[in-house]
Amino acid sequence: MRAITAELSKLFSLLSVWVALAIGMIVPTAIAALNSVSTRKEIALGDHTAVGIDMGYQELAFGVIGAIIIGVVAISHEYFAESGESGGGRQITTSLIAIPSRLRFLFAKATAVAMVSAVLASAAAIATMAAIRIVLGEHAPEIGSEDVPRLAGIVCYWVLTALLAFGITVLTRHGIVPLAILIVNTSVVTVTYLLTRLTSLAYYFPDMAGIRMFIRNLEDSTVEIAPLVGGLVMTAWVAALLIIAAIVFCRRDA
Amino acid sequence: MSAEVARPHSREFVQALAAELSKLWSLPAVWLTLGGSLILNLVLAAAFVSAGLQDLTGTPNALDIGLASISYIQAGYIVLGIVASCSEYTGGQIRTTLTAMPRRSLQLIAAHLALMIVVVPAALITATSGVLLAAIALGDASAPVELGSTVGILAGVTGYLGLTTLISASFGVLLRRTLPAAIVVLGYYFIAGPLLREQTAHAKYLPDTAGLAMWFPQPGDASALSPVHGATVLVAWTLGAFVVALAVYRKRDT
Repeated sequence: MRAITAELSKLFSLLSVWVALAIGMIVPTAIAALNSVSTRKEIALGDHTAVGIDMGYQELAFGVIGAIIIGVVAISHEYFAESGESGGGRQITTSLIAIPSRLRFLFAKATAVAMVSAVLASAAAIATMAAIRIVLGEHAPEIGSEDVPRLAGIVCYWVLTALLAFGITVLTRHGIVPLAILIVNTSVVTVTYLLTRLTSLAYYFPDMAGIRMFIRNLEDSTVEIAPLVGGLVMTAWVAALLIIAAIVFCRRDA
Repeated sequence: MSAEVARPHSREFVQALAAELSKLWSLPAVWLTLGGSLILNLVLAAAFVSAGLQDLTGTPNALDIGLASISYIQAGYIVLGIVASCSEYTGGQIRTTLTAMPRRSLQLIAAHLALMIVVVPAALITATSGVLLAAIALGDASAPVELGSTVGILAGVTGYLGLTTLISASFGVLLRRTLPAAIVVLGYYFIAGPLLREQTAHAKYLPDTAGLAMWFPQPGDASALSPVHGATVLVAWTLGAFVVALAVYRKRDT
């Protein structure tokens, strides 16, 4: 428990984490607001079908970049070497002196990452849905009890993506490669989505499976995956990656 | 008593350029990102070719398919620009650099020019290899491609990647730290930019969309920028970013 508190305190001392929190909040909310404004115009023109089933959820899928940054930075800052004249030290040596058990260290860090991303995801989901409600007013899609699993899906998706980024960065020990790959793959047309044009197996990539937890209307999808199955597939990917990361982390020199 | 012979500016600049080139040459990250981008580009191009062969709705065009991967591969060039600038600040190399080249505008111009000298051939090779791969793999299945337009578009891609690298390098100078700079620039090019493109017509003057006009002409859209117009806008953005970076760089300590 004290290890988790320590990791949380380290996380919040990083500027990048605050930037990530801001991005995670602003990106989905702002896009949802912009999209709602254009939807309102369409409704004013008489098109009442303009409100899509995935309104809000689609925007939240982009906001996951905030969770990605948290996952990457949480571990990459440990390996950031100070300049020569301040000793050239790295945080990781201090961290491992404080928590000699590597498994416990990794577990505490992953827990801290998961906790922060879960809070961020919930806050972003509330802000995004509120933005849609404010702009669209009475035309906003109803949020009822059937939306609870979808909103929980958002939180799971963000947490799992943060842990995915975390696991990759444990392996690379530098943030730039995982960050570049994962941000590229969050873009409007993702690489994994393109791969689904090649083989339907690509629907089982962690991100493609994970978005099934909350996206109901995936464009020309040829494979139907139930939300729960999608979540389990993504969890399996993340679990496998974290196990590999833990084995590597425990065996190598810091 | 010997008179101090002042070094002429031209000679000082040539020496600075040689120094900057030698620094870039010695950075493993430069070779890794350029090589990685080239290989990933070929892999993605192969994927696009195979998707293009399956798509029976139209005749695949070797040029379009071979370049489709560039919008992803630009991540490599963005990272390269940032790493080249920020490598000065990991450790204390910047102090050595400024001791050797005290005139900061000259040093920064030399650094950007050196980056251009490295990036332009690499971008040309990357773009050409993708198109060649598509042309060979498609063979007779490809729609005929004119040599003249191919050369023009390859020049557009090369210019686009080069200028994008320079914009990223300016951001690297501004922010001095690799990960925050990567978050900002990659987040813009892959999340904010594509979304703004869909939202507003003014987005055509933003650096990514204007640059896209250089190599991805949209004949159907009358309001789109012409390649030359797009290139002018992108050059203006690049110069703007450079001027801001230079102004900040001259004002601050290191």
